[in-house]
Amino acid sequence: MFDPGRPLSGVRVADLTMIWAGPYAAKILADQGAEVIKIESPRAWDNIRTLIPPPVALGEHWWNTNFYLHEYSRNKKSLSLDLASDDGKAVLARLLPHCDVVIENYRTDVMDNLGLTYEWLREQKEDIIVVGMAGFGKTGPEKDAVGYGPIIEMMSGMTSTSGYGDDGVPYKSGISYGDPIAGICAAAAVATALIQRKRTGQGQYIDLAQREVMSTLLGEFYMDWSMNRRLPDHIGTGHDWMAPHNVYRCAGDDEWIAICVRTDAEWEGLKRAMGAPDWAERPEYSDQILRWEHRAELDEQVTAWTSSKSKTDVFAALHAERIPSSPVWKMLEVIREPHLRARGFYEPLQHPEVGIWSVHGWLWRADGAGPCILAPAPDFGQHNAEILGGLMGMSADEQWALEAAGIIATQPEGVPLASEMPPTPSML
Amino acid sequence: MSEHDQEQPSTLRPFDGVRVLELAEGISGPYAGRWLAALGADVIKIERTIGDPSRAFGPWPDDLPDDETSGLFLYLNGDKRSVTLNLETSDGREILRELSTSAEIVIESFEPGYLSSHGLGYHDLSADNSALVMISITPFGQTGPNANLPATELTLYAASGQMWLTGHPARAPLKNGGSQPSYQAGLNAFAAISGAYYGAIMHEQGSYIDLSMQETYAGMAEAFHNRASQLGIETQRGGNFLNALWGIYEVSDGYGGICALPRNYPGFARAVDIPELQEERFSDPGQRLINNDELMAMLYGWFSGQTRQGLMELGIEHRVPFGFVASFEDLSTSEHLQSRDFFAQRDDERAGSLTYPGRLWVSDGHDWKMGRAPLLGEHNMDVIHGELGYEREDLVRLRELDAI
Repeated sequence: MFDPGRPLSGVRVADLTMIWAGPYAAKILADQGAEVIKIESPRAWDNIRTLIPPPVALGEHWWNTNFYLHEYSRNKKSLSLDLASDDGKAVLARLLPHCDVVIENYRTDVMDNLGLTYEWLREQKEDIIVVGMAGFGKTGPEKDAVGYGPIIEMMSGMTSTSGYGDDGVPYKSGISYGDPIAGICAAAAVATALIQRKRTGQGQYIDLAQREVMSTLLGEFYMDWSMNRRLPDHIGTGHDWMAPHNVYRCAGDDEWIAICVRTDAEWEGLKRAMGAPDWAERPEYSDQILRWEHRAELDEQVTAWTSSKSKTDVFAALHAERIPSSPVWKMLEVIREPHLRARGFYEPLQHPEVGIWSVHGWLWRADGAGPCILAPAPDFGQHNAEILGGLMGMSADEQWALEAAGIIATQPEGVPLASEMPPTPSML
Repeated sequence: MSEHDQEQPSTLRPFDGVRVLELAEGISGPYAGRWLAALGADVIKIERTIGDPSRAFGPWPDDLPDDETSGLFLYLNGDKRSVTLNLETSDGREILRELSTSAEIVIESFEPGYLSSHGLGYHDLSADNSALVMISITPFGQTGPNANLPATELTLYAASGQMWLTGHPARAPLKNGGSQPSYQAGLNAFAAISGAYYGAIMHEQGSYIDLSMQETYAGMAEAFHNRASQLGIETQRGGNFLNALWGIYEVSDGYGGICALPRNYPGFARAVDIPELQEERFSDPGQRLINNDELMAMLYGWFSGQTRQGLMELGIEHRVPFGFVASFEDLSTSEHLQSRDFFAQRDDERAGSLTYPGRLWVSDGHDWKMGRAPLLGEHNMDVIHGELGYEREDLVRLRELDAI
């Protein structure tokens, strides 16, 4: 029976990714039904497991529990395997014939250094699809540059477009925006390669540079440079022709609402929502061009209305008039936001050492799909026996020998139990 | 699709011979359609008779508005065919129904309920086309209390939680540049369509996908949503810094950046080459966070003596995540990007010499089409007359009835 939410069921992915961009890609593949085997070395595990030490990471086996890990690795399986050793590589060679896709986001030279070249991978599985997600790509004079999301954002042109406008300072996004963008694109790349394989019988190598994907979200700025040799101004939360168009302070501490008026009809709606104040009838606010020209004083007037009210009360009044608006939801608010809740965007996730909390489910929703979250992120090495023994047919003795040699493990090497650790500050 | 099955694999693109109807305007749907077209799909862009509104947004050459030279439109609509249809007329709807029988994929961005109320919803279009993949891209999705609330880039940025995290802690929340809520939704739509189409050809069974721009954007709020839901901790926006080793500093010729995780510290300390960085109060990850302000002050000084290009070279030499705030001038002339054939470079008949992102990735299995965008209604004759068999005089009548 075809499950429309899981069109990639039957696809198996060897997931060598770490931190964010790669795991985000593999998360999308796993959500869509692919069997994603997250492969980590006992000596070089996904750093996200230990980026957040106890007591913020909960439980005795704290490398399995933090919220960051679970965001990106739900619905996956975990195989621990030391790919730097010959024995570990031999195990990978036996696993690959069972796989359709290999995905990695190491530094650009790491796969080759490990001997895991495209040629070698193809020797194990001729029609393998390989996706490499190095920040700057696998070729070119800057291929050895390294970077996490904000570096990718800076190097794509994105950061140059953002700023308040009064201080000349470019601002980065609040998240490491380059990472999920590259991840989504890599998930698309895998699906297109599967389509092509179905049609030609051949695999392919995909060199996906995170910086380049980010740049594709900025086309109009490249065009303005081409056409007019013009670079973007920082316009903060304003707009080229809409007014009011801003974030407005509401009652409380650091409370804001975004309001935008695109048309005269929406301006009439905003006036009604504000209780038809006399000032709004002034001739300088009577059409879009005039309102834009007088936007600074208009913003002051709107703020005078919003600043004494809660952002949810302001939003209710604007919602009734169908004015584009939204409270600036904080993190503790967005996870309870009524619309997202009504749509079932958040789903419960349960881990034995943490309990239940909610994470986002489907990024997009196929009609007829069931729940997105079928399992939490796997414990380190949780599926060793299932994959080595069940899938690959390896004997218990062989598995034991690998464990004795440190090729596989169920605990990252040198990482103590929470009860044996001194207190450590967290980076996040 | 069959006519392409005999082609050499090296010349085949993943979507060669696949027909896409793009009933989408603005950025999100056209962005997804653009890459499907670049990967070989026959994307028929259905435009209202006055054209996709993005034709009316700039930039334009020399700032002269022209429906056929909008930089945004040209960027998002390469290699598509344009057919104008007025879906408020029965003729327009009938032509769309006829076209849909030959389509594998439909992308639409109307207000929730619009197509269904015109007999053009997924249920209608898939009745005789069960392998059809259709995606609806809207600000808040098809259901829920906000489904029909209009939105802008700014309000979606706020509604997804992204805005709360962006900007200086002592100032108002900030929006990042351009139209990111729309673009990221388009990228998600491209991934969703590709996955669903793979499912459709494997199982001969299509699907209908409801994509909410708010949700795809909320789904990338890093770990901050989960931090709130697992631990009950609020996150404050941090401006350009998470800590001294994760932020943007002024350099002598602009702005540079560092994003180092603990494992990058040894390379960082070698690259910066300040003796104090070897002391335990900085080299130990825990103590480093306690002494963050001191470290940041030291780095303000160090960065001010660097150049943007110098930082790149140091980063490559020491494998340290350094970068700089690149401009579109830097990027358009980047030797690295040029060497990777990242750009489409065309002398456009109307818009002049253009350089813009021309692909998403590099593959040894296919290339990317980098052709021009269609004129408004350019393919009405090819498609409605040539393919659907309407007579030429029918086209005249349809035009007079404002159906095309």
